[in-house]
Amino acid sequence: MSTAYPIPSDISPATVKNTASLLRIVALSLISGAAIASRLFAVINFESIIHEFDPWFNYRATRVLAAKGFYEFWNWFDPTAWYPLGRVVGGTVYPGLMVTSGVIYNILHFLNLPVDIRNVCVLLAPGFSALTAWATYMFTKEMKDESAGLLAAAFIGIVPGYISRSVAGSYDNEAIAIFLLMFTFYCWIKALKQGSALFGTIAAVFYFYMVAAWGGYVFITNMIPLHALVLVLMGRFSDRLYVAYSSWYAIGTLASMQVPFVGFQPVSTSEHMGALGVFGLLQIVAFAQLVRTHVSSQQFQKLLFGSVVAIGVLGFFSFIFLTYKGKIAPWTGRFYSLWDTGYAKKYIPIIASVSEHQPTAWPSFFMDLQFLIFLFPAGVVLCFRELRDEHLFVIIYAVMASYFAGVMVRLMLTLTPVVCVASAVALSTLLDTYIDPTEPVADDDTRSEADSTVTSNGSSAPSKKAKKAAAAAVSAPSKGPLSDLVAAATGSAHAGTGNITTGIFGLDSRGVVVLNVVFMLMFFVFHCTWVTSNAYSSPSVVLASTNPDGSQHIIDDFREAYYWLRQNTPQDAVVMSWWDYGYQIAGMADRPTLVDNNTWNNTHIATVGKAMSSSEEVAYPILRKHDVDYVLVIFGGLIGYSGDDINKFLWMVRIAQGVWPEEIQEPNYFTSQGEYRIDDRASQTMKDSLMYKMSYYRFNELFGGNPGTDRVRQQQVPKEGPTLDYLDEAFTSENWIVSLFPSLSYLAPHHFFRSTSDASNCICSRNSDSDFVSMSLLVLPRW
Amino acid sequence: MMPKRWRNFPLLLLVNAVFASSQPFENSAIVRSIELGGSVVHVTTTYAIKPLEAGLKSYSIALGREEKEKTSWLEVKSKGQDNALQVTEQSFDPSKDFHIIDVQLPSAYPVNKSFNLVLETVQTHATHPWPETAAQKDEQALKYTTDLFVVSPYVTSIQRTKIKTVTPRVISFTEPKNVEGFAKENLASKSGPSVVYGPFENVPPSTSASFLETYQQPVTVHYYHDQPCLEITKLERFAEISHWGANLNIEDKIVLYNAGPKLKGHFSRLEHQTQAFYKRPAPHVLPAMTLHLPAGIRNTYYYDTIGNVSTSKLRVAPSTSKNKQKQYSVFEFRPRYPLLGGWNYSFTLGFDSPLEDSASYDKKTGRYIVEIPIMTAFLGTVIDDEELTVILPEGATDVRFAAPFPAISNMIGTHVTYLDTTGRPALTFKYKNLTVRHAESIFVTYKVSWSAHLKKPIAVGTAFLGLFTLGMIARRVNLTLNQQKPKAS
Repeated sequence: MSTAYPIPSDISPATVKNTASLLRIVALSLISGAAIASRLFAVINFESIIHEFDPWFNYRATRVLAAKGFYEFWNWFDPTAWYPLGRVVGGTVYPGLMVTSGVIYNILHFLNLPVDIRNVCVLLAPGFSALTAWATYMFTKEMKDESAGLLAAAFIGIVPGYISRSVAGSYDNEAIAIFLLMFTFYCWIKALKQGSALFGTIAAVFYFYMVAAWGGYVFITNMIPLHALVLVLMGRFSDRLYVAYSSWYAIGTLASMQVPFVGFQPVSTSEHMGALGVFGLLQIVAFAQLVRTHVSSQQFQKLLFGSVVAIGVLGFFSFIFLTYKGKIAPWTGRFYSLWDTGYAKKYIPIIASVSEHQPTAWPSFFMDLQFLIFLFPAGVVLCFRELRDEHLFVIIYAVMASYFAGVMVRLMLTLTPVVCVASAVALSTLLDTYIDPTEPVADDDTRSEADSTVTSNGSSAPSKKAKKAAAAAVSAPSKGPLSDLVAAATGSAHAGTGNITTGIFGLDSRGVVVLNVVFMLMFFVFHCTWVTSNAYSSPSVVLASTNPDGSQHIIDDFREAYYWLRQNTPQDAVVMSWWDYGYQIAGMADRPTLVDNNTWNNTHIATVGKAMSSSEEVAYPILRKHDVDYVLVIFGGLIGYSGDDINKFLWMVRIAQGVWPEEIQEPNYFTSQGEYRIDDRASQTMKDSLMYKMSYYRFNELFGGNPGTDRVRQQQVPKEGPTLDYLDEAFTSENWIVSLFPSLSYLAPHHFFRSTSDASNCICSRNSDSDFVSMSLLVLPRW
Repeated sequence: MMPKRWRNFPLLLLVNAVFASSQPFENSAIVRSIELGGSVVHVTTTYAIKPLEAGLKSYSIALGREEKEKTSWLEVKSKGQDNALQVTEQSFDPSKDFHIIDVQLPSAYPVNKSFNLVLETVQTHATHPWPETAAQKDEQALKYTTDLFVVSPYVTSIQRTKIKTVTPRVISFTEPKNVEGFAKENLASKSGPSVVYGPFENVPPSTSASFLETYQQPVTVHYYHDQPCLEITKLERFAEISHWGANLNIEDKIVLYNAGPKLKGHFSRLEHQTQAFYKRPAPHVLPAMTLHLPAGIRNTYYYDTIGNVSTSKLRVAPSTSKNKQKQYSVFEFRPRYPLLGGWNYSFTLGFDSPLEDSASYDKKTGRYIVEIPIMTAFLGTVIDDEELTVILPEGATDVRFAAPFPAISNMIGTHVTYLDTTGRPALTFKYKNLTVRHAESIFVTYKVSWSAHLKKPIAVGTAFLGLFTLGMIARRVNLTLNQQKPKAS
């Protein structure tokens, strides 16, 4: 038998096996290293800092956990959030993330490694991304083989779709959740394959961890039952499925109910009913199977079938009835917006106001996944070719996740793993075919011989195309491709693969394809690195621009103002700001806030919105009632920062209008032509609003009395600047004019709202003599 | 090294118990010169002394009670000499309004032959802003109060007090009363940047209760000052010596406070930037400060509770050996926001420096000696409380230290950090009211045995060996209950 290129023939199979295993370990370590390293751009370009908004809360909670212990954290009531309501933190968070960091922190300190808790938090996400790579490897190995697993691990390690939520400093639930997701799925597949209650239990334990870590656990709660249901419907019910599902569901559900924030939801809300229903269905089917093995009357089978259907229908109707009676909570608004993308806009403006809840723009698929998005369908099709139970899982996962990723930007994150798995399967199949050194023999001579070999090899379909046979032989699950190669080279007992008639002839045809693949992979790496460093590594708390000499210039207005608040105001000074900045104020300034990013009380947020959008006379009593000492305003008009409060203003109006439709009406804030303007033509309501007045207070004086130009809106503010009667400017951060720094929001559309690209900051404070609330709003150019 | 000054040595009291009855000295002249600053005031008093008896070894200096409380640093020299004389403080008698400090004279001076002593003191918290609040555009005015007469247990022929301000703008000063007996004219006069009290002639021993009651009086100078009055309310310095890393890490946790007039109204960025633009910065605003850090430092970090102070800059000078002329790295420290009157800013500043720049090894005694600077010099700034912790290498024994001036308290404890097994000895010193004049070094000496040096590699090696052994065992032990292969599906 001939090979396309020489293969050493004097290596024992044991050596090959050991070398392959060593290479796998080395490759996995390198992949882990690459996964961690590519997430450190943020630390190297900026510093070890917690990013964005939600992570600041998680960080603050972790500090409490690390400083005061677990039980103190569990019972933590935070009186400074949602002032004056307060927040029961222990019962309203997914504690998995904080507990993970706390455990790591305590272990390190036990080993006399006094690492700062901030560094633990900052580096948690990169660390877990290495684990995700490993979990993906294990998962893909179950789908195809080790080489596909390594490819999948490498993909998930550096793919931007996942990096976007796991760069160093992005200390959010997703940081550990994707690892848990993949590992739970792996354990489920393993349990299903082996019918193992052990793996089912491990899956349940990791499911519990996932429940404790991220609200997205509902995805697992519905994926696994859906998989089970599809298997049953395809007539693939087996004892293995029964054991795996029952052990996962029973233990997982009980465990998940231990998380206070979840509580009895698994038995009382619609999102969890699917899992319960499939659990019941499996019991019935199993019972039916049992009966069938004992009674073999066809009519009895029909009866059983009928009763199965009847019970199913009955269960379905009782579910609807219970929902109707209120025993089972109906779907939440966020859930409805998954099916109807216009739903939130119509009914819940607060959900719609978050940019990561917007539908995904198509370029972001390419940006986040690059060439994987083309390979992904091929991989799914390859899954159909074999269609074992686990392949069905990937297919279902792919369909569901694709839909969700299209509906909501943030769910791109759940799509990314399956894209990596499917693409790895596709690419690995391609490479297997083209790297395989076996030269097919010329077609005509050996047609009959080849057929007979294939038949003798035990292949079920002699008419099957030889190429398929080759591929199947290469991907035979029991042996790796390398041992195949050696076996072929040494001419050992593996008969059958020697004389296939179709395949790849010669080195050149192999080379063309393999080189192309290598180029694609290289471009993928470049793309990932570029996207990561340019789009996903900005902490958004700190912004960078470039000095004329090319050196980095840091715009640090947020921290300047927050730290001023922290150091120079009374500990109990209440700060009012739009909810976006609530967590940051609590984390960096350590001051009570009215509203924050945990948007649980719409009325309270609307109150702030009303205060911001009303005139000073109306707003002032509201501020007094809430003991507000400072009002914080973000204004980017001077340096051209688009994520400022004036641009978010319409959301404030809308949300306030939802609660006080008589007092706040959105159309009043537009000009008569229906334009949103801040210049002379702005409506009187707009000009009277607190937000407008605060933003443009003394703005003209910057320009020596000439009308100033708002660089975000590209409009000139009125010559007569607004005056404030009740409030006064307390502190304004320093600000520079940025020389055309490209806004990161263009690169990362889903960071649009939440990650801001730079800011000018204003803070307003109490007059020293009375309880007057005061404020500021200015940003000044460097003269 | 021995502490140079301020040693409490009560036995010397006996020697001076006789001074009240007879007059061993006469002051032919006392000239006190006070240089007003913000937080720190320098006082130089020159005593021209005529011994009236032979063989006297000790001269007594008196400081008023309040003056003594404000004084954070004190040094007496013979005029023209570099070496400070040894001084001893007598125990304080609460019924009297002054402290007596004895100065060991370098040699016995002949009778009636005049000699000069120079007393230098640094006062902290001696000024206060008046008015107590100032708007952003306002000037900064301070008040300084001191006693009119320099207290001395001896007769003084002539004495004069000169109070100098940095800017020649004095708002007002107190006219002394009831002292016409000592001076006919020129009780108080102002010329340029100075206010001069006296000369007063033939002042009797001013430590007598009757004199203090009748003539001693506070005089106040109200003046403009164009530098911010800075206080460091708390400074925690950690100096960690690492032999394995050949590194001396110094970390300061600093709480900075602008003790000038509190801001009236609110801060306006517009005004601040206008002032900066016209180069007329408000005198009570601190936009930035320049610090001198040692040469050759690396890995410098400056951050506060919420991250890097990205506004600051550092220029590092190359490392120099111990005996060469001192060079400095210049650290331009700019707080996140300009520090206005009454505002706080806390931050952490730390750096590594090569251990060989500040340590040496004595082969004869087998001891290491390391020089630890007590503080970084903050010009014109007073450090209210300092806690200096010197962390020695793990296993250091026989620890001794020599301090340039005594600490309020010192103790030894244990500090556990990276890769430690038993912890490191840590010396802790506490100080109050430090100024630039206190920016000296403590010398710490200790021994470290070979086995102590090897502790770390052995600990790390053992840990890894344990891990690998566990891995090896786990790989080879089969815990499966049922040894059959699982049935293929």
